[in-house]
Amino acid sequence: MNLNRRHVLGGMVAAVSGILPALSLAQGKGIIAIITPSHDNPFFKAEADGAAAKAKELGYEVMVLVHDDDANKQSELFDSAIAAGVKAIILDNAGADASVAAVQKAKDAGIPSFLIDREITATGVAVSQIVSNNYQGAQLGAEEFVKLMGEAGEFAELIGKESDTNAGIRSKGYHDVIDQYPDLKMVASQTANWSQTEAYTVMESMLQANPGIKGVISGNDTMAMGAWAALEAAGRTDVIVVGFDGSNDVRDSILKGGIKATVLQPAYAQAQMAVEQADKFLAGGSTGTEEKQLMDCVLINAENAAKLETFALSA
Amino acid sequence: MPRTPYAFLCLVALLAMPGCKIIKTADEGEAGAAAQAGEAGDEGRIAALLEKTYDSELLPLIAEKAQATGDLRSALAGGLEAAGPSFGNRGSGEGAAWNFAVKGEGKVVEANLTSRARKAVLDTDGDGKADLTLQLGPVIKGSSLRDVAPFYRFGDFRDQIEFAKLARALNDRASAALVVPEGELAGKSVSFTGTVDLKAATDPWLVTVVSLSVAP
Repeated sequence: MNLNRRHVLGGMVAAVSGILPALSLAQGKGIIAIITPSHDNPFFKAEADGAAAKAKELGYEVMVLVHDDDANKQSELFDSAIAAGVKAIILDNAGADASVAAVQKAKDAGIPSFLIDREITATGVAVSQIVSNNYQGAQLGAEEFVKLMGEAGEFAELIGKESDTNAGIRSKGYHDVIDQYPDLKMVASQTANWSQTEAYTVMESMLQANPGIKGVISGNDTMAMGAWAALEAAGRTDVIVVGFDGSNDVRDSILKGGIKATVLQPAYAQAQMAVEQADKFLAGGSTGTEEKQLMDCVLINAENAAKLETFALSA
Repeated sequence: MPRTPYAFLCLVALLAMPGCKIIKTADEGEAGAAAQAGEAGDEGRIAALLEKTYDSELLPLIAEKAQATGDLRSALAGGLEAAGPSFGNRGSGEGAAWNFAVKGEGKVVEANLTSRARKAVLDTDGDGKADLTLQLGPVIKGSSLRDVAPFYRFGDFRDQIEFAKLARALNDRASAALVVPEGELAGKSVSFTGTVDLKAATDPWLVTVVSLSVAP
């Protein structure tokens, strides 16, 4: 049949995107493209895995692509997906403003997009935007941080990659809560670009300059892990560290009494929900729900960490 | 950027509907705020929205919908999915909390007035045990004041930041209006009206208070 075409298509996309797309065969409801940031961060891998599993379950083939947070590359991937005649696109986008044009391009080609995790600054372009409520999640993390700190003391903040919308949203959510406590004093604030190794170095120098630090609030879990390693190396395991994402690494640290808390974004479930909405839309022309949907995050601490596995919390 | 004034007009139109009232699209102050696109204009837009809705729509909605604590408990005994649509409003998105307006009175079992997030724990059913917590500010957790109102909709806002700013502004407005007496609260009787958000029928109640009176 068109097996050959698929292989040719796979090769074409791989050539364009520079990665190997995962094409799988199913009963022929067509292809769903799943485009996310790099799978180096397990959060995005969980997203892609969740979407792919649901798509296959519903009888679609999947084309899994990564844009590496590069809007130009994302635009090329959209071209590839459109050329491949995909039925729908599941997207964790590469920039709130920059992604509008790509999603519009797909819409103009008759391909509906279903956004997960991050939102874009326009409505009526994507069919669904299932947005992780990073602001609410950051407020939860900050409330826990404030409680652990006893509402007082010196702290440092590690900020994510500036180009990523969620870095700013989380920092704002943290400060929305923490800044209401005048006895909490931020003595250092620096980006570590979501990176564990960078966070290690940044934490080392923060600690040297501010030995009185009592807590560290981090924009994500990989930076929290880097900071915790630096604190351990300096013999400062008394410092309170709170992260964000709900990774298995931080879960394990919490269970060992290291990092104190993180905030879970239900990546896997969210991606599955997007595919379900895509399927419903393709079948009946409507998802039956509003375009913009907020999905709350959940605080993870010693009480519930054991129930966390691959960005999902068991009942 | 044209989308912001458009979103604002949609919101105004939407707000005008539930009460079937005619609301001016924008007076000069609001037009000025709305003209400032993006995040820089948030403060002005949110302030204008509060001015328009807090006293005239939100407080009346809470007063009208508020269930007595015992009645809401009975309703919840039949499950959140039954009680929610009858008495509450659901926040945006899958798995969002149900938000209820609630009123009642009770005896303060325990209070913490030294935290920035002051709290009083009440016994409202007279069994001698604590059964809900009142948030007395100035720091208020959550967004139940926003999410109890069907006329504040996520889709009408630019993004989660602007929507979160509304929740914070509502919380600040409510907590600023509370008069919490000095001195020990434990043992005193209080009556209150407020909002509570529940993700499960058995969740503990953390009430955001819009009005409070403490018996001398």
